[in-house]
Amino acid sequence: MKHEKEQKTSATSFSDEIRSQLGGETIALCYQCGTCASSCPVAKTTERYNPRDIIRLSLLGEKQEVLTSGAIWLCSSCYNCQERCPQKVEIADVIYALRNIAIKEGHIPNIYSEFATGLMNEGRIVPISKFVEKKRPEYGLPPLRPAGLDTLKKILAATGFDKIQWKKEGTP
Amino acid sequence: MEEVKVGVFLSDCGKQLAEILDFKALTEHVKKVSGVALVVRGNEFWRGEGLKTIVDAIKSKKINRLVVAETLPKLSEVKIVKAAEEAGLNPYLVEVIDLKDHCAWPHRDAPLEATEKAKAMLSAAIERAKLLEPLEKLEFPAVKSVLVIGGGIAGMQAAEDLADLGFEVHLVEKAPFLGGLAARAGRFFPTDDCAICIQSPASDVKAITHTSRKCVYRSGFSEIPNLNILTNSKVVKVEGVPGNYKVTVEKKPRYVDESKCVRCDLCTTVCPVEVPDEYNAKLKTRKAIYINTPPVHPPVYVIDESACKFQECAKCVEICPTKAVKLNQKTEKLTLNVGGIIVATGFKEYDPSVIKEYHYGEYPDVITNLELARMIDGFGPTNGAIIKPSDRKPAKRIVFIQCVGSRDRRWNPWCSSICCMISLKNAMLIKSAYPDTDITICYIDIRTTGREHEYYYEKAREMGIKFVKGRPTEISHDPDGNILIVDVEDAILRRFFELEADLVVLATAMVPSEDTKELAEMLGIELDQDGFFKEYNAKLRPTETKIRGIYLCGGATFPKDAPTSSLHAHSAAVKTAKFLSTGKIIKDQRTAFVNEEYCGDCEFCPVICPFNAITLVPKGEDHFVAQVSDLKCEGCGICVGTCPVNAIELRHSRPNQMEAQMNALLSVNGTSKPLILAITCSECGHTAVDSSGMAMMQYPANVRVMKVPCTGILQVHQFLQAFKAGAQGVMVVGCKTDGCHYEVGSQKAQKKVDLAKVLLKEYGIEPERLEMFHMVFIEGDKFAEAAQMMTERIEKLGPLQLM
Ligand code: SF4
Ligand code: SF4
Ligand code: SF4
Ligand code: SF4
Repeated sequence: MKHEKEQKTSATSFSDEIRSQLGGETIALCYQCGTCASSCPVAKTTERYNPRDIIRLSLLGEKQEVLTSGAIWLCSSCYNCQERCPQKVEIADVIYALRNIAIKEGHIPNIYSEFATGLMNEGRIVPISKFVEKKRPEYGLPPLRPAGLDTLKKILAATGFDKIQWKKEGTP
Repeated sequence: MEEVKVGVFLSDCGKQLAEILDFKALTEHVKKVSGVALVVRGNEFWRGEGLKTIVDAIKSKKINRLVVAETLPKLSEVKIVKAAEEAGLNPYLVEVIDLKDHCAWPHRDAPLEATEKAKAMLSAAIERAKLLEPLEKLEFPAVKSVLVIGGGIAGMQAAEDLADLGFEVHLVEKAPFLGGLAARAGRFFPTDDCAICIQSPASDVKAITHTSRKCVYRSGFSEIPNLNILTNSKVVKVEGVPGNYKVTVEKKPRYVDESKCVRCDLCTTVCPVEVPDEYNAKLKTRKAIYINTPPVHPPVYVIDESACKFQECAKCVEICPTKAVKLNQKTEKLTLNVGGIIVATGFKEYDPSVIKEYHYGEYPDVITNLELARMIDGFGPTNGAIIKPSDRKPAKRIVFIQCVGSRDRRWNPWCSSICCMISLKNAMLIKSAYPDTDITICYIDIRTTGREHEYYYEKAREMGIKFVKGRPTEISHDPDGNILIVDVEDAILRRFFELEADLVVLATAMVPSEDTKELAEMLGIELDQDGFFKEYNAKLRPTETKIRGIYLCGGATFPKDAPTSSLHAHSAAVKTAKFLSTGKIIKDQRTAFVNEEYCGDCEFCPVICPFNAITLVPKGEDHFVAQVSDLKCEGCGICVGTCPVNAIELRHSRPNQMEAQMNALLSVNGTSKPLILAITCSECGHTAVDSSGMAMMQYPANVRVMKVPCTGILQVHQFLQAFKAGAQGVMVVGCKTDGCHYEVGSQKAQKKVDLAKVLLKEYGIEPERLEMFHMVFIEGDKFAEAAQMMTERIEKLGPLQLM
């Protein structure tokens, strides 16, 4: 079914925005049971992250807080929560959807900007160190081949990855 | 055939309508229509003097067809038709139309055009009336006997009601004992009294006081006259029609003669076989010859076939002082003749072992509420002690988990509605018996919506029961000290807890009973999306199914508490009694009939009929024809709309009657706008037109309304017929697709409209000229908008070019 919705204000517009993203479709089903939180290994180690909180804040339209607090970057993608959510909220995927929105809006932690820049310039997120190059033959591994930067650039262009303003802002 | 003489009666509604419609012109117009013998104008015709005029016309002027333009026709028609019948006219020869809400009011801004439309409406009614045929009232016998399937709280109540009312009742219970799930539950909220307590039957001579209620086992339930209780029995076949069913019941052997067993319990002392006692949550064992619990009904032992060693042992046969044990008993087949059937098969507890993270079935100390109830029951396996099944030590720390398998889209999406109260009840019973027990209830939402239920929750808090708002992710077992650990977040504190527990109780979902699907198929009734028996109309016809004569009650339609189950049972009993009380079923003949010559035995109509009214019967060698049961047919016409060779017709809505009406409606335009035919069903569609008129919403007079029983009757060629007859556009107006009075009619119509659009394109007609709309009575604005929209759309398209 197609929904043609006009842009509404605050709470609905943010949850609509999330729902229109790949992975974000199921967010509104959440009834705050907390199963995800008690399933989450990250939430149990740091108070900075709680998947139930993120979903609640998102549904209440607290867009700035969700996108800029840095919490969404802490999910380890273990999918424990998603397995057990009784409402079939695809929590880990919702977090991805939120990260995509954050990136689009320029709320990008420095580390990801660096990764992205590395990928675009060298074709690798982690630069190859002299150490690695020396170690490989010891383990019987062939030397690393160049990353095929031309093809990669085409792919990054086709997906729009290279048009993202990676350097715009650094968030925690 | 007698010459057709139509009498036309025009009510101007106390002259109000005359301010808009030109009644002189209307009278002149009607006079000229062939077959019209009389035209009378008046203030009103549905009561008083007006009604007398009609009666006189029938009696003295030999009027044999009646067309009445009257306001509120859905009300006035009842009176007019009744008076006509008393005056000697067949009631099916009367046509009542509404010139107010269907013409004058919605077109009050355009009186000239309204008058032209009124002419067309009158012509259409007259043409249809001329073709109407007299129909009979049909009478069918109804056996004053009822089958109640399921001997739980609801089934017993319904059976008692009907037996007290004088009906012969057969109560069939699958298990060897009555009481169902309720009996196992021990005690009930919110009164905390026994589950097996029922109202005393009226036939109990020593309990004729109003206040008397008793345990089932001492209530004299089995002594109610006219009540035949069949335990250990299963319905295996149902044949026949409402009012007259032939039911086959298989009665499994009990191996103990019900009339001889004196319940001395001697047999159990000698029986060598011990098996886990399922009824008692396997917390104890029982013998192969057994009763569930001391206060059972019937108070007779039964032998568990799967455990007994029969002739190899036969020790019970020897010891039984009354020679009650009969090891050679065989399954019996009984045939019952009943007029009505009540389904009271209840619900069951969901098996939570599929929810792996809770380890039910793996950790013995994780149990369900029903299992806990067996411990609380003084007659239960622990004599009321609350223990850890693993080591049988007292359980001092108990955690309840709510919504286990309920409100869970992975398993059962619905709220099982009674489990919050069940957990509160069990927790409080434990707390009062053992005040030092530490009890925590983990919940998502506590739902206590019934009378007194919130006080119950309040009391639980006062008693010191703790509540954590959070659904645990997992239960783990710590072998050190044999404790369970419940891992939960309290969402209010936003804090994680690892609750230590001796016993974890799962408030498990309630799901449809076994064999629900099989029984539904046998009875030809439907299940809802969750697999429970579907009530015909959840809003205002609870306990009814779409088949008259078959009723539902108790948890068979959804999990219910005891008071609601009883209420439901009373309702089903009253409806069954109403249906059978006169010993006959009266019904009209606006039913479908098959032209056997044309029927190609394609099997479309038997499958599509929502009321299972059509069967294929043999006709000559290797050929079958469809046959309609006048008793079961509800007159929707969906079969007519489906038959590929037009072999089936609906009396009172025959093709020639519809065609004549359609042609007349489209014969006069009188507006500058393109003619549009709005074909409405007689239920929500037609009343939506009423309501737009009542609210004086304006739409153009070029829209002409034609009523059919259900839009499901429409065939694709009728849309073409409408275009040929002069329509520039066609609207089909039916009920909501999920709210059709005949279940599937408006869905089928939508499909046909979609198909017709494809065909129209082939014929070079713009498909946008045809559209279907779904609405309910109060959506008059929706009809007015649709009429306006279609008019504008067709104007834009320009005149229709027919090839
Ligand atoms: S488990 Fe699902 S429903 Fe429960 S709080 Fe998390 S996202 Fe919401
Ligand atoms: S996927 Fe993310 S949010 Fe979900 S449990 Fe794992 S770390 Fe927590
Ligand atoms: S079957 Fe016989 S022995 Fe067993 S309880 Fe009944 S009467 Fe007693
Ligand atoms: S008219 Fe309706 S109820 Fe009657 S036989 Fe046809 S489909 Fe069945």
